[in-house]
Amino acid sequence: MMRQQRAEREAVAITGVGAVTPLGASFETVAEALVTGRSGVREIDAGGQGRAGRQFAAPVVEIPAPPAAACRLDAADWDRLDRFEQICLSALAQALGDAGFTPGTAARVGLVLGIGAEQLKAWELDYLTGGRRVFEPRRDRTLAQRLARRLGVTGPAVTVAAACASSGYALALGRSWINAGWVDACLAGGCDILGPTALAAFYNLRALSRRSDDPARASRPFDRQRDGFVMGEGGACFLLERRAAAAARGARVRGELAGAGMSSDGSHMVIPSTDPTHAARAISAALVDAGLRPDEIDYVNAHAAGTPVGDVAEAAAIRLALGDAADAVPVSSTKSMSGHLISGAAAFEAVACLAAIERQAVPPTLNLDEPDEQCPLDHVPHVARPRTVRVTASNSFGFGGSNLCLVIRKAA
Amino acid sequence: MNALPPPRHPASAACGISAHAVVECRLSAMAALRERPAPAGAPPLPARFLRQCDEHTVVAVHAVLEAIAAAARPPCCDRHAVVAAPCQSGRITAARTLVQFSAGGGVTVSPHVVPQCSLHSAAGAVSVALGMHGPHIGVGGGPDALAEGLWTGLSLLTLEAQATGCDGAWVIFSAWDTEPVIDASGAAEGDPLCRALALLLEPDAAAPLTLTLHLPTDTGALGSASESCAGLAAFARAVGICAAGGAIASWSVPCPWGGLFRIAGRAVARRALPPAIRREAA
Repeated sequence: MMRQQRAEREAVAITGVGAVTPLGASFETVAEALVTGRSGVREIDAGGQGRAGRQFAAPVVEIPAPPAAACRLDAADWDRLDRFEQICLSALAQALGDAGFTPGTAARVGLVLGIGAEQLKAWELDYLTGGRRVFEPRRDRTLAQRLARRLGVTGPAVTVAAACASSGYALALGRSWINAGWVDACLAGGCDILGPTALAAFYNLRALSRRSDDPARASRPFDRQRDGFVMGEGGACFLLERRAAAAARGARVRGELAGAGMSSDGSHMVIPSTDPTHAARAISAALVDAGLRPDEIDYVNAHAAGTPVGDVAEAAAIRLALGDAADAVPVSSTKSMSGHLISGAAAFEAVACLAAIERQAVPPTLNLDEPDEQCPLDHVPHVARPRTVRVTASNSFGFGGSNLCLVIRKAA
Repeated sequence: MNALPPPRHPASAACGISAHAVVECRLSAMAALRERPAPAGAPPLPARFLRQCDEHTVVAVHAVLEAIAAAARPPCCDRHAVVAAPCQSGRITAARTLVQFSAGGGVTVSPHVVPQCSLHSAAGAVSVALGMHGPHIGVGGGPDALAEGLWTGLSLLTLEAQATGCDGAWVIFSAWDTEPVIDASGAAEGDPLCRALALLLEPDAAAPLTLTLHLPTDTGALGSASESCAGLAAFARAVGICAAGGAIASWSVPCPWGGLFRIAGRAVARRALPPAIRREAA
């Protein structure tokens, strides 16, 4: 009874989804790509990246311009936005449109974006087109604050960063503000973009796959032949509301954000801890927060980026958190299709969970030809697995030992 | 479609501030601060831990160490969360990186740029340096970092205890006193001062300071935008005077979206004075 009461109190309705990703620029196209197992990884022109060999990544190929009325800008204004602003604004406006919701004075609406390196990207975009902003002593408002004004959002507009878990933290915080009554509804999510210095930095860190002969097969989480991740770009944004508010206005509920768990390894700035205790604690805390047992999880969307160390650490954390139930819970990494969206990854993978719920199928891990025996999980290689999916858990981990798990379930 | 049920806004949320410290360092002295050991009473830093860190991170880590050393009751950090709100962190390194990249290509880019110069970096470094296992988050990055940091820190401590298991949250602000001009080679001009203020938020009724968020009671309130990043020096000074029972009894930080945060000495908080806008002098 206590479990049910807690879940009733904490679940927040997801009534709008916006996605701008390597797999498409709407919830429906992304969901279709995920269940059909389509890769968004391809060869790219990395400009002056200055290293030998073909460059590859998972770029966004379409950024839909939002309706002018939705964000107070015309076509010329849209063209003046940089690529990062366009991706974020497109996803946010999509989420509002999908929810049939217009921020106004009747409700306090918040906006929380998970973006790990907004300023580094803005300085880079400006510098590479001849600008001087990085040299100037100016303090620009954050993207979240600028976009809040464009969208008529008058509540808190906050940027949060937890490296590759950033957009998941945004969702967790947005949910908690709603539960506390600090806001009535909240736009939450996050995005990222490809940039030549970040590509070079991750390459020099030896974090990226070097399998340039066959880009679409380079992202291979949990596979014995994995050799690093493939960078992607884009992300997703959501409109979160109290269940009662969504019901009162007759909104379609795509799913519920039922729980969140967060922790830190406290061990290293880059390398994930080989001790699964703290990552497992985030997963367990999310289940407790949602009022669920491990055997009630129908699908785990793994962080698994395809790095040799990270995938093994995550497999250990999943097994520690779920115990014997791990044997029967399908696990997949959609980064095998989308690449690693960095700040936007957790939000994108929340879309994957909603897609699994809507399509009643577990998205596959592409390129998983030979599962690593150090990752003993119920993998879903190559093709989607039809399954009753009511409850999903999505893991996200980031530099500095950030651990996050979100529980997303079918609407009650 | 937007006919929401009547909102149920709480009037306020509050916690204690049980430790605090300020660290200031000029750019010319940053190399020495990177090597400085932790003060007596604080846990030791891992060897050469700050060598690759951004300047904001260096002062942020030392501010937390100084706060621990100065605390009346040394805190156990194991279950603490970290929220770091640096203003424009990583700019000097970013400028140098871009200059070198344009001249020499990708091989010139340090692998430390992403982990050490992003918005999350200061929070991550504090978490790693002190073995904290609550969540760590970077916040803001722009001129409203004070309000964003306090808002997020209070969120984690008071709203997410179930999800995090944390029993305290460090909120750390950092900013250059005057944002430096950077020359064409990627070097900062002059000798700017970098400052960090660390506050330990705990649900502790006996803490020497209280932090209260006063939420606007009307819906849709949008306050005038503040330049709170530029006000870090004054805020840090006021926190110290409040804690010492000096001439400033409380200090307010307005939220750009309405409402305000009020930090007050214990005696003032008990009197439950009505919230004022901006600052209050005793």
